[in-house]
Amino acid sequence: MKALPNQQTVDYPSFKLVLVGDGGTGKTTFVKRHLSGEFEKKYEPTIGVEVHPLDFFTNCGKIRFYCWDTAGQEKFGGLRDGYYIHGQCAIIMFDVTARLTYKNVPTWHRDLCRVCENIPIVLCGNKVDVKNRQVKAKQVTFHRKKNLQYYEISAKSNYNFEKPFLYLARKLAGDPNLHFVESPALRPPEVQIDLAEQQRHEAELAAAAAQPLPDDDDDTFE
Amino acid sequence: MDDLEKAILISFDEYGTIDPVLKSQAIEYCQRIKENPTITSICVERLFTSKLVQVQFWCLQCLHDAIRHRYSSMSPDEKQFIRKSVFAMACYEGIDDKNVTVRVLDSPAFVKNKLAQVLVALIYFEYPLIWSSVFVDFLSHLSKGAGVIDMFSRVLNALDDELISLDYPRNAEELAVAARIKDAMRQQCVPQIVRAWYDIISVYKSSDSELCASVLDAMRRYISWIDISLIANDVFVPLFFELIMVEGLPEQLRCAAASCVLAVVLKRMDPHAKLSLLQSLQINRVFGLIDEDPDSELVTSIVTLLTGYAAEVLECAKRLTSEDGKRVSTELLEEVLPSVFYVMRNCEVDATFSVVQFLSGYVSMMKNLSRLTEKQLLHVGQILEVIRAQICYDPLCRDRLDVMDRIGREEEERMLEYRKDLFVLLRSVGRVAPDVTQIFIRNSLASAASSSSESNVEEVEAALSLLYALGESLSDEAMRTGNRLLGELIPMLLSTKFPCHSSRLVALTYLETITRYVKYVQENTQYIPIALAAFLDERGIHHPNINVSRRASYLFMRVVKLLKSKLVPFIETILQSLQDVVARFTSMSFPAKEMTGSEDGSHIFEAIGILIGMEDVPVEKQTDYLSSLLTPLCQQVESLLVNAKMQNPEESSANIMIIQQVIMAINALSKGFSERLATASRPAIGLMFKQINLRCKVSLLHGQPPKTCLFNFPGEESTPIIDPAANSPNLKLQFPNLTAQSLSTLDVLLQILVVFPKVESLRSKVTSFIHRMVETLGVSVFPYIPKALEQLLAEIEPKEMVGVLVLLNQLICKFNASVHDILEDVFPAIAGRVFSVLPRDAFPSGPGSNTEEIRELLELQRTLYTFLNVIATHDLSSVFLSPKSMVYLDPIMQLVLYSSCNHKDILVRKVCVMASLLLRFDWSGLLFPTRCTLVYNLTFYHPSTSQACVQIFIRLVKDWCTGPFEEEKVPGFRTFIIEVFATNCCLYSVLDKSFDFRDANSNALFGEIITAQKVMYEKFGDNFLTQFVSKGFLAAHCSQDVAEQYRRKLQGFVLCKYLCGFSLLEHEEKEPEKPNIKPWSWNFMFFMGYGTS
Repeated sequence: MKALPNQQTVDYPSFKLVLVGDGGTGKTTFVKRHLSGEFEKKYEPTIGVEVHPLDFFTNCGKIRFYCWDTAGQEKFGGLRDGYYIHGQCAIIMFDVTARLTYKNVPTWHRDLCRVCENIPIVLCGNKVDVKNRQVKAKQVTFHRKKNLQYYEISAKSNYNFEKPFLYLARKLAGDPNLHFVESPALRPPEVQIDLAEQQRHEAELAAAAAQPLPDDDDDTFE
Repeated sequence: MDDLEKAILISFDEYGTIDPVLKSQAIEYCQRIKENPTITSICVERLFTSKLVQVQFWCLQCLHDAIRHRYSSMSPDEKQFIRKSVFAMACYEGIDDKNVTVRVLDSPAFVKNKLAQVLVALIYFEYPLIWSSVFVDFLSHLSKGAGVIDMFSRVLNALDDELISLDYPRNAEELAVAARIKDAMRQQCVPQIVRAWYDIISVYKSSDSELCASVLDAMRRYISWIDISLIANDVFVPLFFELIMVEGLPEQLRCAAASCVLAVVLKRMDPHAKLSLLQSLQINRVFGLIDEDPDSELVTSIVTLLTGYAAEVLECAKRLTSEDGKRVSTELLEEVLPSVFYVMRNCEVDATFSVVQFLSGYVSMMKNLSRLTEKQLLHVGQILEVIRAQICYDPLCRDRLDVMDRIGREEEERMLEYRKDLFVLLRSVGRVAPDVTQIFIRNSLASAASSSSESNVEEVEAALSLLYALGESLSDEAMRTGNRLLGELIPMLLSTKFPCHSSRLVALTYLETITRYVKYVQENTQYIPIALAAFLDERGIHHPNINVSRRASYLFMRVVKLLKSKLVPFIETILQSLQDVVARFTSMSFPAKEMTGSEDGSHIFEAIGILIGMEDVPVEKQTDYLSSLLTPLCQQVESLLVNAKMQNPEESSANIMIIQQVIMAINALSKGFSERLATASRPAIGLMFKQINLRCKVSLLHGQPPKTCLFNFPGEESTPIIDPAANSPNLKLQFPNLTAQSLSTLDVLLQILVVFPKVESLRSKVTSFIHRMVETLGVSVFPYIPKALEQLLAEIEPKEMVGVLVLLNQLICKFNASVHDILEDVFPAIAGRVFSVLPRDAFPSGPGSNTEEIRELLELQRTLYTFLNVIATHDLSSVFLSPKSMVYLDPIMQLVLYSSCNHKDILVRKVCVMASLLLRFDWSGLLFPTRCTLVYNLTFYHPSTSQACVQIFIRLVKDWCTGPFEEEKVPGFRTFIIEVFATNCCLYSVLDKSFDFRDANSNALFGEIITAQKVMYEKFGDNFLTQFVSKGFLAAHCSQDVAEQYRRKLQGFVLCKYLCGFSLLEHEEKEPEKPNIKPWSWNFMFFMGYGTS
C-alpha cells in the first residue's frame, strides 16, 4: 500500500489497520500516544478520518501500521463502513468506564467483519486507569465468542500500548514468536497506574468521611 | 467512467494521491447525488454496469440507506423495482432487457456481504407479508451453482447477524420483527432450506470446502430456533461426524461441522429428550482427536464441543430425577470426564476456561450428595491434581518473577487472573471433600518441603498457594480449633524453612499463608515464638528482597493487631530485632524509587505503635519507647527544614521524600495510641506527640544547624517532656522568644508547607496527619486547626480541596456544633475557591468529556455536597448566614437545587435534596418565593427526588401555615401551595404516564403526596378543597360525581381507605385531552384506591 501525501513511501511491510468503537472511547488519544505517527499523521477534515502511520521495530525488521482513526464517523453520513475496505487488521475499542460502549462492541465487530472477512482483530478495553470502572475484566467475554484477542489498556498511562500492535503483527506475519526489539517513542504518561495506591487512598477517604448519608438503598439505580 | 464513478473513486481513495480539495468536492458531489429522488435507479443501473468495486459498494450503501430510512415513503413501484433488481443480482441474473455487463456476485466478498445486507433490509420490511416468496424463490436458483449458493448463505448469515442473533443489542421492534420472520420461515420454508443444505454439502464437501463451511455456519446459527429433528437425525449427524473425522478435509470445514454438533448439543430442550439426543450422538467418536496438535483450530473446536457436551450432560444429571435418567447421565459423564481432564492438562488457557466452569458445575452438583462414590472421589482427586498442575508458574520465568521486570510482572498478573477460577474450584472441592483436599495439600506441602535443593520453587509456591486459597473458605471456628488436619498443617507450615525461601513469590506466599491462619496461633499461644520468627527473620522483614520485607511489615502489622496483648511479653524482643529496619526507613540514603506504592514500609511503625500503645504496657516503658522513636524522627525533619533554603532542586526533592516518610512514620506510630489513652488516662503520652513538633519548631526559629539523626532505643538518653500549654518556665529559659501559643502541635508540619509550597504529596501527608491527630488527640487539637486550614487552603488545587473537605467532614462528624467557629472562618475561603472552579450547572457531556479534569471536578462536587449535607445534618447551617458567607448562599442553593434534579448519579441527587431539605428549615424565611418555585420544579424529576421535595413542602406547610384563617407568615405561600403545588404536583404528576406504580420510588412518592393532601386539608380547609377538587379534578376531566366522592372522603379523613367506582371512571374518561396524561384513568384508580391493596 502506498503512503499518504506528504508521507514517505516506505519500503518495509505496511498494513491498513482500522480502529473502531463508540465515540469518546479514546481511539484518537490511543493512536496519538505514538509520537512519530502523530508527527506524520494526515488529517482529512472533510471526511473526518485521520490516518496515522505507526512504525514498530520487530526482530524481523520494521513494520508500519496505517491506523485509520475513523473518529466522528458514528453518525449518518461520510463513508462509514466504506473506510473498512481493504482493512488488514483492526482494533475495536471500548471504554471500561462506560458500559454502553461495551454493549456496542458486537455491532462494531459485525460491521467490520461484513467488510473485512477473516482479519485479525484486537478488542481493547481502554481507561483502566480510571477508578470507577463500569465494565470489570471478568464481564468482558465477547472476545471468547469471536476468537479475538483482548487487552486492557490505558491510553493515558501508556499501559499495554504495544500489546495490540504486537498481537496483530504476529498474526499478520504468521509468526507467533515475533517480538518488538525496541519501544516506539511514546508520549510520557499523563497518569500513573497504581492500583494499590489508589485503593489505599480510597480506603483513607472512606475512613475519614465515615458519616451517615441518607439511605443508600438506591445503589442499583443508574 | 462518468462523473459519479470518478467522484466515488476519489472519495474512497486510500492511497493519498488525491488533492484534499478535490477529494472534498468529490464527497460533496456524491452526497448531492445521494439526495437525488431517482437515486435508487441510479444505483441499480451502476450495479449492473460498473466493474469498480468502490462504485458497487457505494451504490449498495445508498440502497441500504434508502431502504432503512425512507422505505415507508417509497412508491410501490420503487419498492418493486428495488426488490426485483436486488434479487436478480443475488441470483446472478440480469434484469429485463437492460444492458447488463456486470454481475455483483463476481465481486469481492465485501461487496457481496453488502448486497446481503441490502436484501436483509428488504426482508425486514417485506417478509412474509409483501415478499413472501423470497426464500423459496432463492432456493430455486441454487442449482445455478456455487456463486448463488454462496450468496444464499451470506443472506442467511446476514439475516442472523442483522436481525435474529441475540448477540447484538436489539430494540423491541427489532425483536418483534425477528419473531415474525422466524415464525414465517418455520411454517413456510425451513424444511426445504435444510434439505438444500444437505444436498449442497453432499455435492461440494470434497470440492469446495469454503462453500460448505459457509453453509455449515448458517446451519449452526439456525439450529437454535428450527425444529431440532430436522438436524438431529440419521442423515445429518453421520454427515457432521464424517466431516469432523475425515483427516484429509480442510480444518475449516471440520471445525464448522464440529460447531454444528455443538449447536445441536446446546439446543434448549426438555432434559429427557436432551439426554437421549446426547446419548445418540456417540460423542466418544471424537475423543481421539484431542491428542493432535494442541495449537490447531480443530483441537480447539473439539475441546469446546466436549466441554459444551459435558456441561449439558451435567445439566441433565441435575434436572432428571428418574433412576434411569440419573444412570445414563452419570455414565455419559464418566465417559467424557477423562477427556476433560486431558484437555485441562494439555491445552492452552483459552480452552481451559470453559473446562474450569464445567468442573465447578460438576463439583457443585456433588454438594447435594450425602456421600461421594469411589468414582467421584477419584474425580475429586484428579481435579485437585489438575488444579495444582495449572497453578504452577513456568520455571523459565523464575528469575523474571524474582526481579519483577516487565515480563515478570505480566506473568504474575496473568497467573493471578488465571488462578481466580481455579481457586474457586479448589474451595468448592474443599467443601464437598474436605478430608481429601486437606490430605492432598498436606502431601503437596510435605513433598515440596522434602526436596533439599532450591530447584522446586514452583512446586513449593503452588503448594503454599493451595493452602492459602483453601483458607479463604474455612470458618473462624475451623481456623481457631485447627479441626481436621489443620492442627497438623499449621505448625508444619510455621516451622518449615524451604531452601527456596529466597524466591520472592515463595517468601510472599509463605507469609500471606501464615497471616491467613494466624487465628490458630491466637488460640494456641505456644506457637507465638515460631510465628514471630517467621516475620522477624530473613523469611520476613529481613528478607533480602525489599518487596518481601515491605509486605512482611504490613502482614506483621496485621498479625500484631490480631494477637495484640498476647505479644506484650515479646515487645522487647520485637523492638530489638526491628531496630535496623526502623532506622533505615527514614535514612537519608534511602533510594527514592523504592518508596512508591502502598507497601511503603510505614506499617512497621504502625505495628510498633500498636504494640507500645497498649495500656498493658507500663507507662514508664511506654514513654521510653515512644520518645526513643519520636526524637530521631523529629530531629530529622528539623534539620531538613532548616537546610531547605540552601538546597538545589534535586536535593530538595530527596528531602521531600524523606519528610514524607517521617510524617508517615509518625502517623503510623500514632495509630496505636487511642484517644482515651492520649488524653485521659495518660495525657503525658499525648503531649509527646505535640512535643515532637515543638522541638522542630524551636530549632526552626533559632535557625539551629542540623543535627545528625541518631536512632536511640530504650535505655539510652530520653528527652524530657515539655508541656507547651503549661508554658513551662524551663522552656522559656531555653527559648525566650517562644510563647506557649506558638508552640502548637501542627505548626511544624504546617511549616513544611511553607518551606515546600505546592508539593502535593506533602500536602496530602500533612492532611492525613491532621486526620490522625484528630483521632488521637481529640478536642485538644482544636487550637491548631485554623492555622492548618489556612495553610492547606493557600493556592489549593481542586483535587486537594477534596482532601480539605473530607477533613472538615471528619471534624464536623466528630465534634459536631463545636466546630462552628472554625467552620465559619474558613467557609468563605472554601466556597470562594470551589465556585471558582465548579461549573454552576451542567458538566459537559458526550464524547470527549470523560477527561481526568472533569472527573476531578465531579469528585470535588460530590464531596462538596456531602460537606453541605454534613453541615446541615449537624445543625451548623447558620454558618451560611454569616456576613462573609452570605454572598455564597445563592450560588450554593442554585447548585444544590440544580444537581437535585439533574445530576447523573441518583445518589448524589438524593444527597442534594436532603441537603436542600435541611437547609431550607434553617433559612425558611429567606427562600420564599423564588426558591419555592425551584423546589417545586424538582418535584417533576425522578420520584426519589420528588419524594424529598414533597416532604419539604409538607414541612413548610406545617411550619408556615398555622390555620386556614390566620395571617400568613410568608405572604403568597398559601396561594402558591393551593393553586400550583396541590394541582400540579399532587394531582397531575400522579396522572402522568411516567408515574409508574410498579416502581418503588414512585410508590413512596405517592405516599408523600397523600400525606401532603391531608396536611393541606388540615391547614387550608375548604380553600384547598374548592381549588383541588372542584377545579383540579374537573380540569382533569373527572366527573362531578367522583370529585364529590373524593371531597367527602377527604373530609372524613379516610382517604387511605377510599375506594371509588373505578370501572365507572374508566368508562367516562376515554379521551383525555391533555396529551401527557394519557393512561390517567389507570393511575387515577390507584390514586383513589391508595392503601387498599
